[in-house]
Amino acid sequence: MRKKMSAPLELYCWKGEWGLPSVDSDCLTVLAYAKFAGAPLKVHKIANPWRSPTGSLPALKTSEDGSLSQPHKIIIHLRKQKYNADYDLSAKEGADTLAFISLLEEKLLPALIYAFWVDSKNYVEVTRRWYAENIPFPLNFYLPTRMHSHALDRLRLVRGDSGLEPGDEAEKELYRDAYECMTLLSQRLGTQKFFFGDFPSSLDAYVFGQLAPLLKVKLPNCKLQQHLKSLDNLCHYCSHILDLYFQNEASDGPARKAPTPREDGSDFDNEPHKRRNQFLSVLVALGAMVGYAFLTGIVSIQRSDPHNALHGRRAPQLAGDEVDDEDGE
Amino acid sequence: MSLAAEAFVSQIAAAEPWPENAALYQPLKDDQILLSDHASSLAVQAYLRMCNLPVQVACRANAEYMSPSGKVPFIHIGNQVVSELGPIVQFIKAKGHSLSDGLGEVQKAEMKAYMELVNNMLLTAELYIQWCDENTAKEITRPRFSSPYTWPLNHVLAYQKQWEVRRKMKAIGWAGKTLDQVYEDVSQCCQALSQRLGTQPYFFNKQPTELDALVFGHLFTILTTQLTSDELGEKVKNYSNLLSFCRRIEQNYFEDHDKDSITSSTSRLSKGSSLM
Repeated sequence: MRKKMSAPLELYCWKGEWGLPSVDSDCLTVLAYAKFAGAPLKVHKIANPWRSPTGSLPALKTSEDGSLSQPHKIIIHLRKQKYNADYDLSAKEGADTLAFISLLEEKLLPALIYAFWVDSKNYVEVTRRWYAENIPFPLNFYLPTRMHSHALDRLRLVRGDSGLEPGDEAEKELYRDAYECMTLLSQRLGTQKFFFGDFPSSLDAYVFGQLAPLLKVKLPNCKLQQHLKSLDNLCHYCSHILDLYFQNEASDGPARKAPTPREDGSDFDNEPHKRRNQFLSVLVALGAMVGYAFLTGIVSIQRSDPHNALHGRRAPQLAGDEVDDEDGE
Repeated sequence: MSLAAEAFVSQIAAAEPWPENAALYQPLKDDQILLSDHASSLAVQAYLRMCNLPVQVACRANAEYMSPSGKVPFIHIGNQVVSELGPIVQFIKAKGHSLSDGLGEVQKAEMKAYMELVNNMLLTAELYIQWCDENTAKEITRPRFSSPYTWPLNHVLAYQKQWEVRRKMKAIGWAGKTLDQVYEDVSQCCQALSQRLGTQPYFFNKQPTELDALVFGHLFTILTTQLTSDELGEKVKNYSNLLSFCRRIEQNYFEDHDKDSITSSTSRLSKGSSLM
């Protein structure tokens, strides 16, 4: 029985790209759960976390309980409002849900954070670029770097302070755990449509939230992505959820993908009008220098009197003097 | 350990049999060891006993610093040092002893998931209660952690560790939780474990696995440790099948071996001295 809500719940989340309804894992989890449970949410897709009621995304604005931030809390709140996707699960399946969510958080999430935020090629070409292009000025200079250091900190603390340079050893260990986790998920899913039979549950929301960005975002440097693509049942699973529950968002994908092939292959940040900007900046610099030179008198132009120039032999001498003047002081 | 080093180690490991003088290092048992460390150490000891591998428990004040990964316990076998339950299980598997070989793929997936559940919820809750609850930290944790050291090193080390743990809690999003919410999480975790265990003797029916060792380590420690309040133990006691599970493992693996085991330490604990 659905409880009557006086005002609809509002969800603020990151906007989507690459065929996904949102680029952020937590937002995807919450969106997926809401669709699975049939919760009517008014979704605001924004790119500025400071506009959300709690200062971070995703955020759920409720009428009585204030605003909630973490996906875990949001799902609990939705459950309390009787939008429960886990209603049909047995006790053992509920326990399995908790266990597999912990597995995701401990084994897969660190590797995802690494792949998106620490690996330098991915970070510069995809993650930072997307956030810098989409967050409004002037936050786009400040927020991506802050999110980057936040991600680094988290990884470093969780792994116990070992050096976390984008070097091979840490990467190999993280990825190895992630491969194992994905293989385990694939084995648990088997040939079923969802993890617990024919209807999706909260575990499906969490798994989808983590795997969908990995599947869809075009990362230049991604062994994780290759491993995921080798696990067919997980790929079908994600595409199935996207097609079934997020059809209208999927149409955004192809339109957005057009810019990316053109800019492939360059190693530094791409701007759309690089040549023009370079030319303009050189011009402005030259103009500034010349203007400064004239203003301070380093260079001065003196008009030669055309009347004198026409008269006899003295004229060349004068012209010569004048020419000297122009060149010199 | 890097992958190359690990492959090397497991080759060497497979070559040598289990030595007589294998040692497990942990912090000092009576005065220094904390709840979370004792739980991890007990889990490893339980696993080794389940595999029938003898090991001597050595208590050192600087065990944490000796460990290659900074975490206790660690075992010293021949000329190798391996720390934490996960790598130790792998190491022992390379030597040919494994408890989870008979499990199917799906069961192995579930076992790994439940082990992560214990690590993610129980261990983090233990760390939170020890270091982030100011009461417990002041009365129990900091004095115990710094007991082998003299002033001013004891203060410096204790606060440093506390700061580090609090930063970790903040990074994983537990800093905003209240103590009641943490107890609630512990309760949920125990409920999940209890439902998974059901009426079976062990998690995967007849034979114990590393999951049983890990759960035993944590639950037994929680039940036999005195903190500033009894609420943590009460949460576990709500589930009778978990209690009988702990008792069963204690009887099967710890009582019929030498008496220098946890049973003697539990009797010390029940006399009122606090472990924490």
